[in-house]
Amino acid sequence: MTGEPGVPGRSRGRPGATGAVGAVGTARSVAAKLRRAWRRAEELFDAVFTARWGPSARRAARDQADTLRALVLLETLGVDNPVRYETLELIPYLVADLHEWHRRMGKEEFGDPGVCC
Amino acid sequence: MPAVIVLLVVLAIYALGYRYYSSYLARRVYALDPAYVTPAHRYSDGVDFVPTNKHIVFAHHFISIAGAAPIVGPAIAVFWGWLPALLWVVLGTVFAAGAHDFGALVVSLRHKARSIGTVARDVISTRARTLFLLIIYFLVTMVNAVFAVVIATLLVNNPEAVLPVLLTIPLAIGVGQYVYRKRTAALLPSLLALVIVYSAIWLGQHVPITVDPIANAVGLQPMTVWILLIFAYTFFASRLPVWVLLQPRDYINQQQMVLALLVIMLGVLIGWNTIAAPAVHDVPEGSPPWFPLLFITIACGAVSGFHSLVSSGTTAKQLNKESDARYVGYLGSLGEGTLALCSILAATAGVVALSATPAADWQARYADWETASDGALGTFTEGVAGFANNLGVPVAIGTVFAAVVVISFAATSLDTAVRLQRYIVQEIAEMVGLRAVARNLTLATAVALSLPIILALLPGDFAFGTLWQLFGTTNQLTAGLALAVIAVWVTRRRRNPIVILIPLVFLVTMTSWALLIQLHEFATSADPLEVFLLAPLDAIIFLLAVWLIIEAAVALRRAWAARAVEADAGEESAVRSGEHDDR
Repeated sequence: MTGEPGVPGRSRGRPGATGAVGAVGTARSVAAKLRRAWRRAEELFDAVFTARWGPSARRAARDQADTLRALVLLETLGVDNPVRYETLELIPYLVADLHEWHRRMGKEEFGDPGVCC
Repeated sequence: MPAVIVLLVVLAIYALGYRYYSSYLARRVYALDPAYVTPAHRYSDGVDFVPTNKHIVFAHHFISIAGAAPIVGPAIAVFWGWLPALLWVVLGTVFAAGAHDFGALVVSLRHKARSIGTVARDVISTRARTLFLLIIYFLVTMVNAVFAVVIATLLVNNPEAVLPVLLTIPLAIGVGQYVYRKRTAALLPSLLALVIVYSAIWLGQHVPITVDPIANAVGLQPMTVWILLIFAYTFFASRLPVWVLLQPRDYINQQQMVLALLVIMLGVLIGWNTIAAPAVHDVPEGSPPWFPLLFITIACGAVSGFHSLVSSGTTAKQLNKESDARYVGYLGSLGEGTLALCSILAATAGVVALSATPAADWQARYADWETASDGALGTFTEGVAGFANNLGVPVAIGTVFAAVVVISFAATSLDTAVRLQRYIVQEIAEMVGLRAVARNLTLATAVALSLPIILALLPGDFAFGTLWQLFGTTNQLTAGLALAVIAVWVTRRRRNPIVILIPLVFLVTMTSWALLIQLHEFATSADPLEVFLLAPLDAIIFLLAVWLIIEAAVALRRAWAARAVEADAGEESAVRSGEHDDR
């Protein structure tokens, strides 16, 4: 078991280290190990139990984003939009991800060369 | 015989099954190809299709398939003795469930990770997709009815369990909100929630909760009040986004399942309790015959059609390599078989662990079919308590602990099944042009819940065992349809489908036979409910079974004929080109 290089007391049994300092070093080392083990347990728990639900959460988030995107798109097409003040400034962002969206919706090409594709 | 011997022998058989039989399936029947580009890679989207480590996929798969069903069925089926129940659990798990779960996963992998219903349309016929929808509709109807009865029975018999069960709901919502808003790891809040639930088990001993005052006020049985409350809860819970309640409930449930399995296995290993049940029970005259009813009573404990839905709908989208399907699919079915094994041991050894006259006590619990089936849940929970007592846990606490585990699982299954039934109702409503039902969530949920509520509230001698067996038949039919799809696919790929055909024929024959026996029983009953409700329901499920047999036979014949034509063409081609395809 080695501690941090050059830090007295971090290595057990190091010549010159006093008993008290050695004990503190051991305690720190054990604490660090426990922290690492806890982090690993958290990661494992999330990978096994939480990540299983990831797709539903990501799908729900994507659906919400699609609704917003549709609203902004309607605005660009001149359809009356009840939240136009909020969506107007989002139009530049719409163009950036329009391509991925219309492909996901089943259209290989958007259909309006001035906007996309 | 000591329970520990049975436990170790069965686990050894499972290990051999994994080592040799699943290897045979992987090489000779499914011909797994580690180089095959799985849908997780081909359609990777970061949402549904995500290549994942096989151990993690296995954990996700096992968590999805494990539930209350493999616990309840075997606890009823030991009525015919522990040996027939154990033999079907072991043989069914190794030869039927293994091939079924593993096969459904592979077939789905080779069909863009589509669900088994869609694959049935592609592999068998368009009619098979309709058949699949109908079978699933009746399956989830039975799941909703039977699990509501399971929960209500446990809550009536264990008023000490009500407090921890009720507390789970706000705790789960709290954990979900905390993890979601703080974007933190879920381990600590979930562990804290579990500690609070178990503290409530102790507290519940001092504060038992019953619905007797409400029942007396409205003139209903406590059981009826609980069933209505459970359906009211489900009506609202199934309409919430999954991350609000269902997902965090799942964190807490799964920790409970791992803990319960550990308690049972350690209890068996430490206690060396003897199995008090006879190997073959000399049942009273007039009892249902073990052949073929044993096979549908054990249901998920041996082979479950529900697993094909999980394999094809979710797991197939995550597999990193096709060769991982053996580890995930086959081992998952062994995990389910282990749950069933634990249930058999709890109902035959654990339940009388503290008794001075174990054999006589066991006989009293399984004196006749009604006593055995109605008391199966209590038998299981007290059986777990008997094993937990070997670890120093008081029997009263152990019983409530087991009841809370089963209720939690059943409640989650109920929530999921109601969502699934609502989707099916909406899909059918869309097909027949009922737009109001198809578009309105509240109406669709109400329609979905109507038949399960009627079934769960049936009065009179409608025993829990009968409802359970109807659930078993629909579950086995779902497995039969999945096995038919796998058999046709294997045949088309010019491999020997015999190891799929044997469980397929066995399952469909046993299920049809059991349905006919029940149909005769219902149709000749003096109870009008059995004659006018259960008999038609049974007849519909039987017709679905006949439809499945015809559909599978026609598809297999066609696949066999196509294979012969391809073989002839292949030979001619090989003669011309001087090559031979030895796939």
